Amino acid sequence: MYIVKRPEERSGSGSPLQLQQLIRSTSRGDRAAFAALYSQTAPKLFGIALRIINRREEAEEILQEAFVAMWERSAEYDAAKGSAMGWLTTIVRHCAIDHVRRRAVRPEGRSAPDEVLLGLAAAERADLGAELGALARCLGEIEEQPRRAVLLAYLYGFTREEIAADFAVPLGTVKTWIRRSIERLKRCLDP
Amino acid sequence: MRYEDSELRERLAAEYVLGTLPSRARRRFERLMTEDPALARVVAIWADRLATIDAATAAEDPPSRVWRSVEARIVSRGASPASGQGWFVSLAFWRGLTVVASAVAAGLIIYVVSFTGRPSPPPAEVVAVLTDQSGDPSWIAIAGPRGGEVSVSAVRPQAQDSRHSFELWAIVGGTPRPLGVLGQRSGNVSIIRAARLPPPGDLLAVSLEPPDGSPTGLPTGPVLSRGKVLIRPP
Repeated sequence: MYIVKRPEERSGSGSPLQLQQLIRSTSRGDRAAFAALYSQTAPKLFGIALRIINRREEAEEILQEAFVAMWERSAEYDAAKGSAMGWLTTIVRHCAIDHVRRRAVRPEGRSAPDEVLLGLAAAERADLGAELGALARCLGEIEEQPRRAVLLAYLYGFTREEIAADFAVPLGTVKTWIRRSIERLKRCLDP
Repeated sequence: MRYEDSELRERLAAEYVLGTLPSRARRRFERLMTEDPALARVVAIWADRLATIDAATAAEDPPSRVWRSVEARIVSRGASPASGQGWFVSLAFWRGLTVVASAVAAGLIIYVVSFTGRPSPPPAEVVAVLTDQSGDPSWIAIAGPRGGEVSVSAVRPQAQDSRHSFELWAIVGGTPRPLGVLGQRSGNVSIIRAARLPPPGDLLAVSLEPPDGSPTGLPTGPVLSRGKVLIRPP
């Protein structure tokens, strides 16, 4: 299910600069630019929505909702603040997370977070991207349970409560794991 | 909360991206971000750092119905993102405008015909008037020139470039069927067989497509104009 993509494919097919321009044109009501933004980013974003939702029809709904939100919020995007793909991914993930939280039962059949981490580590070995390797290395420095907690949250939208239930630990412990993991990641990624 | 505390800002930004903030806290944080560009910048840095994890997730093509739904929703919400809840949201108003637009376009045809000074031909039968999002007529379909044919032409010059074309669609029961790429220069008339038109009450639409038309048989670009078929052409 998980395939490590080559770095140039990581952010969808458009270059970061092109995507920024497309978002800017979209904010001025340019529908052709919005259509181009969709065609360049929807496959990657659909993959991300599917990862969290794990049900095709619902993931389609999320993608639709997220793109409507992008259209409406495109004026908020500021290229000086971060990459276009980071902004788009955050919108899709939050739509998906809201959807999962509204639903009582979590979808089954996801890969264990450690498999994903192995995928990232393999990418590092294959020298597929320094950035990728750095994140995999920094995640690897975190203790096993907090690392898995961070990955469950990012990959599948687990809440703090769900993580606590999954590991059978108190909620306070999960909050501490996450806080410390964030501090360690930050120290490790920007030395 | 003391949002000026830099460690707290960093943690909330990371948790916002990670997705672990409870829903209400997240919405509060989103409001803060819109007022605090520096905070938004911290969020964007975390989004970029963590997005690296997504490299392990395979891309997958969504079905084309997703784009069609997105498009239908943005069309019903207003002309531009900044306008938010536009007037376009009101179907009743939209219908009203279509009637006005049809009357305007019909007036235009009669005007042109009577101004030529030739013996009056029988009045052109308007098959459909396609209006853009502002309700202005952009394309018109009239019966003729021969029986069983319909001529489609731009009412006014349409913004165009060499990388795009305008494609005409029949929308029957919500399903688009391609009718062909339209002539783009002002004065160009595209002739289609009347039998290919949808029945009165169904829609014609024009979308923006690659130069040779949609490669998929379904609209891939934005729908720019639409209009109801008014009569079955003779």
